Amino acid sequence: MRHTLKYFFSFCFLIVQFLTQAQETTATKTTSEKKKSEGKIPEAPKQATAKLDTIVPVKKDSIVPVKKDRYGLRVGVDLYRLTRGLYDKNYKGIELVGDYRLTKNYYVAAELGSEDKTTEDDRLNTTTKGTYLKVGFDYNGYENWLDMENIISIGLRAGISTFSQELNSYKIYNAHPYWGEMPSKDSGETFSGLTAGWIEVVAGVKVKVYNNIFVGFSLRMNTLIYDKKPSENFENLYIPGFNRTYAGNFGAGFNYTVTYFIPLYKKTVKPKKGK
Amino acid sequence: MKKILSLLLLVIFTSSSCEKDDICDANTPTTPRLVIDFYNISNASVKKNVNNLKVIGEGMTEGIVFNSGASGEAQYLTNGSSISIPLKTDSNSTKYSFILNSGNSNPTLIDTDEVTFNYTKEDVFVSRACGFKTLFTFVPNNPIIHTAVPITKGKWMQVISVEKSNIANENETHIKVFF
Repeated sequence: MRHTLKYFFSFCFLIVQFLTQAQETTATKTTSEKKKSEGKIPEAPKQATAKLDTIVPVKKDSIVPVKKDRYGLRVGVDLYRLTRGLYDKNYKGIELVGDYRLTKNYYVAAELGSEDKTTEDDRLNTTTKGTYLKVGFDYNGYENWLDMENIISIGLRAGISTFSQELNSYKIYNAHPYWGEMPSKDSGETFSGLTAGWIEVVAGVKVKVYNNIFVGFSLRMNTLIYDKKPSENFENLYIPGFNRTYAGNFGAGFNYTVTYFIPLYKKTVKPKKGK
Repeated sequence: MKKILSLLLLVIFTSSSCEKDDICDANTPTTPRLVIDFYNISNASVKKNVNNLKVIGEGMTEGIVFNSGASGEAQYLTNGSSISIPLKTDSNSTKYSFILNSGNSNPTLIDTDEVTFNYTKEDVFVSRACGFKTLFTFVPNNPIIHTAVPITKGKWMQVISVEKSNIANENETHIKVFF
């Protein structure tokens, strides 16, 4: 602390030195000019205009240029869900994402998706198919420089899903396998008309990579609010959009998006007061 | 607005309780075993300890381990008044041999009874980690078939009574044997 203070003061002294020097040079300059102009009187007005010219651009720089924010609709797709089907035979899915800029920092955001996932657990094999919709908002906490349009946001979503779950096969848990471990039993029982609702907290980043094209990444923490259980005898092991369920009501997810921004109108940025 | 947001975050993160659910907890009630209690035939309300009882399933070479701490033949023997034996989850009947005084040097004292349990079964979902469990219900007609080995010899189990026809957990006695 003491050292930083010391350096701070010495830095201040250094700046003060420059200041005084700067004044000296201008002073000498003006005096030398004055000395020169003493001999040549007719040239004096010309010099004055030249001096004005040099001052004017400095004044222009100090004026804040009019900054305009672009407002519009951003639409795209989740690349993670789209490409996962290529390498994961148990997964097929797509998610369309979109947001609309409401105010300087707030965006209405939504995701619409469809998933078909087979979950292979040690003792259970289930297939879940369904669609989901998430609607909410993002708050952009990132202060962009100049005409940058990047977003570091935090937001909330309400998610709903309708889906069906099929129990493909299961194993009996027997703590005393005297008769040997039994192989999986095939079931094929399908539970349809299932629904679930949840809340998501979204932390995301969107970066403009080229013209109006953005790439983004978001992490989501989910809290299951309700879900219609397949039966008294079974539960939802995977919910489209919510992902894997846990013993509590907790869930997590993420997406990796590519979006295209459709600008609709521009709004002048009001300079902030008190700065 | 920022205050509301931070409050929401707080609520959501505190309400989401993470629980480990990948490993089936040993305390979770899964497929129950059949609980058999032994009673004194001359005094029906008093429990009676068996003497070196060994229980072997049909077609098995080794008995049910009752005394996992012991080694060799001793681990298959019990001298208590209650045993728990697993039923087959892939069949509607299970046959066991109950050998009293097993391993006794005097072969005349060794007494074997065979008991077949007939039941229906139902698979019930437990959890993601445990999968399913099987619950059993004794069939109404002839739930128990009891024979002595050899058949001419008297049965050492004099009365077998079904106390609970639904085998859903191991906290209750399903079968009472009087001898």
